[in-house]
Amino acid sequence: MAADMRLPTIRKTVSLSASAFDRKDLVVPGDVITSDTGFMRGHGTYVDDDKLTASVAGEVQRVDKLICVRPLKTRFNGEVGDVVVGRITEVQQKRWKVETNSRLDSVLLLSSVNLPGGELRRRSAEDELTMREYLQEGDLISAEVQSVFMDGALSLHTRSLKYGKLGQGVLVQLSPSLIKRQKTHFHNLPCGASIILGNNGFVWLYPTPGQQEEEAGGFYTSLEPVSLSDREVISRLRNCLLALAAHKVLLYDTSVLYCYESSLQHQVKDILKPEVMEEIVMLTHQKLLEQEG
Amino acid sequence: MARVQVSEAEKVYILHGIRDDLRVDGRGCEDYRHMEIETDVVSNTDGSAKVTLGHTAVLVGVKAEIGKPRPTVPTEGYLEFFVDCSANATPEFEGRGGEELGTELSNTLYKVFNNKRSIDLKSLCICAGEHCWVLYVDVLLLQCDGNLYDAISVAIKAALFNTKIPKVHISSDDEGGKEIELSDDPYDCMRLNVENVPCIVTLCKVGHRHVVDATLQEKACSVASLIISVTHKGTITCMRKVGGGSLDPESIFEMTEAGKRVGKALHAPLMKLLEQEESLGKKRQKVYTCFPGLPLVSPQPPREESGAK
Amino acid sequence: MTNSPCPHPDNKPFSGQPEKEKTWGGKRFRAGPVAWVIYFNMPTDTKRVRGPEVSQSPSLFSCDPAAVLPSKGPRADGRRRDQVDVRPVFVRCGLVSQAKGSAYLEAGNTKLMCCVYGPRETDRKDETDMKCGRLTTDMRFAPFSCPERGSWIQGSQDKDFSLMLHESLQPAICLHKYPRSQIEVSVMVLENSGSVLAHAVTCASLALADAGIEMYDLVLGCSMRQDGTSYVVDPSYMEENGCSSVSCENQGGLTVAFLPSLNQISGLQSDGDMTEETLTAGVRTCIEGCYKLYPVIQRALTKAVRKAAPSQSES
Repeated sequence: MAADMRLPTIRKTVSLSASAFDRKDLVVPGDVITSDTGFMRGHGTYVDDDKLTASVAGEVQRVDKLICVRPLKTRFNGEVGDVVVGRITEVQQKRWKVETNSRLDSVLLLSSVNLPGGELRRRSAEDELTMREYLQEGDLISAEVQSVFMDGALSLHTRSLKYGKLGQGVLVQLSPSLIKRQKTHFHNLPCGASIILGNNGFVWLYPTPGQQEEEAGGFYTSLEPVSLSDREVISRLRNCLLALAAHKVLLYDTSVLYCYESSLQHQVKDILKPEVMEEIVMLTHQKLLEQEG
Repeated sequence: MARVQVSEAEKVYILHGIRDDLRVDGRGCEDYRHMEIETDVVSNTDGSAKVTLGHTAVLVGVKAEIGKPRPTVPTEGYLEFFVDCSANATPEFEGRGGEELGTELSNTLYKVFNNKRSIDLKSLCICAGEHCWVLYVDVLLLQCDGNLYDAISVAIKAALFNTKIPKVHISSDDEGGKEIELSDDPYDCMRLNVENVPCIVTLCKVGHRHVVDATLQEKACSVASLIISVTHKGTITCMRKVGGGSLDPESIFEMTEAGKRVGKALHAPLMKLLEQEESLGKKRQKVYTCFPGLPLVSPQPPREESGAK
Repeated sequence: MTNSPCPHPDNKPFSGQPEKEKTWGGKRFRAGPVAWVIYFNMPTDTKRVRGPEVSQSPSLFSCDPAAVLPSKGPRADGRRRDQVDVRPVFVRCGLVSQAKGSAYLEAGNTKLMCCVYGPRETDRKDETDMKCGRLTTDMRFAPFSCPERGSWIQGSQDKDFSLMLHESLQPAICLHKYPRSQIEVSVMVLENSGSVLAHAVTCASLALADAGIEMYDLVLGCSMRQDGTSYVVDPSYMEENGCSSVSCENQGGLTVAFLPSLNQISGLQSDGDMTEETLTAGVRTCIEGCYKLYPVIQRALTKAVRKAAPSQSES
């Protein structure tokens, strides 16, 4: 048994690049962004006395004449095509409600899932009655944003074999702004585990599925025990993700992998200690810079 | 308490992990998360401490007031406990939501301290039958991330260690009336002996094994847990089963044994840390508001083309 | 209410000599004027007997506050020490006709009754559980149940007892058979003569069985008190609250709730300061005590069932 007790110390976020305090593009509500009337007002801004003013704390983004402020700490604002990981909160008629870290619960319609067996047919009344057998409250799914409703709620679909119910693994909930947008958010990492980096900040870590399981797809979940070595890799990845998130490093396959490699000299449970966290994030930063340069 | 949802498959994963002595965050079954302790954090109290355990954060303030001793024990002072589950910790505590948990926690604390050795209550007596010190121990939950009992007990021990009760002098005038005089010197104060103050260990039964310092996810997988408060000598001042399930007698004996072992080992590093902090004195930089997880800076590197500003 | 005319504007009680010391049981105590002032200025509540805000039982002054109990020899009620010697219990089901199920239990002078209402639709709609029923427990002490008068309002100690009762009963009830409904268990302690919680658990499980609620097993309670090297099972009020003559080492109380045929402990609570070995031995002792109680409870239940059964005319 071990109880690690200590006095708290002031710790700063590890960053090799210029300090965030020098950044000019960060604004707080009420800051005047520009008094030039030639710009268009985007999200996170309002016009007061012909001056474009920020209404959220975040970073200013400009696309041509459109100025938006993207909040740094926010709930998930989904866009069509985003990959999300979510948890079923409610089973309703013909739809599931899914918690996806956005303002409103997302909706997964019965008509936008692949029924077990993979066949495409009209959803019958029987399917409606057996909805809870496919997905019940508390279950985790991976899905893609199909459309956005008027009120901002998301409509999801799982009409691809890569989406569907998630089996054994670990969920890590992080800020959506830490997830880097990429071509694919599904990665089979070479260290022996797989990762789904949901755009909504929910990250799913799971043992890399075998060939057969992958083909089964859909709603089948294996309850066989996961091997100890897989478990250790997943736990290490989980702690690495938390370390990276604590120091505000963008998450994508390379950064996670580099962090994993940097952490190998430490025991899994030690990674979350502040000083170890600093050390491995620093190493990750260096590796990322080397790769870029 | 803050509740989390866990799917069946996740439960299976957690259960098997505990069976293999490798938990989701890489700990073994009897490992604690790392704990940060700081005393003397609130200036208006006579003693205070803040403890963070993982993301659980607890603030304890001790206030000493002069009161009347209980008629059954006229030569002893007493302790009062109050646990506040503020809506800060989780929205579930909004309004009266946290009340039930608060009473449960404070009642357990009364039980834990319901013995003659934890605190020398006689030292709190000022004048037998008339005046004594009443120590109000107020616990504030700042964040909930599982294992409240253990964090609270450590915080209380630290706060009691930090408590400074002003010295008083009793003088009687000619008519027999008594006057209590408070010492002017702020350094002339009484300290409590906290050597025997117990620490609570919560053991969660998950599957066929038990874990200490369970996270909320692990707690969701467990049917029942056992709370054991252990002194530095290894004696048990309170034991209690919590949760909706029942336990086998044999597993209770096993858990008692483990709880005693784990609890006994908590005291030495805690006392060492408290004494170390005490010896640092005013040189130590206070880090009171060190909450984890607040994003202070943008995760993205600054771009050359930075808006229209 | 506050401006109701005070019969004595100078707030002097009419006895004339307020400072006079009275005697009671050989001890002297001061009947101070302060309590009287409060008496006259209190808002008039016609439903309650008006009394001083703070009052104390004369028994506190009549005897030594810390009654020293012997730690050797037979116990006050003649039972043996260091033996699983529980008081003989009297139990009966079905006293309260309005309730779905009820039970009355008497062990020595400890007397308590329990009523079970439900299962019925949940009051609190927001907490309705689609899969599982809800159990609510409420344990109260009658104001006259203890040597010192208690309050009608549920104190934090009563809440603690209610919680313990809840945790002890819940594992035994098949709550999944009663989705969306709630079962209410309320225990009233009429006379407290020690081991109240343990007997309350027994009594409540009996009442639940009487109400015809599906249970895996009966729940039995037993408590013990360790005092140095010796222990007493099913302690009386005096044994529970008195101070011991010997040093304060290895002292404490323990209450266990036990499911006898499943061999599971559903409730456990201890306080004081005991070693692990004592505690382990104590749990074993309590389990033994529960087994002693088991046939008595079973018999009472069978009797109640037989009574309730319609007479079969054909056979």
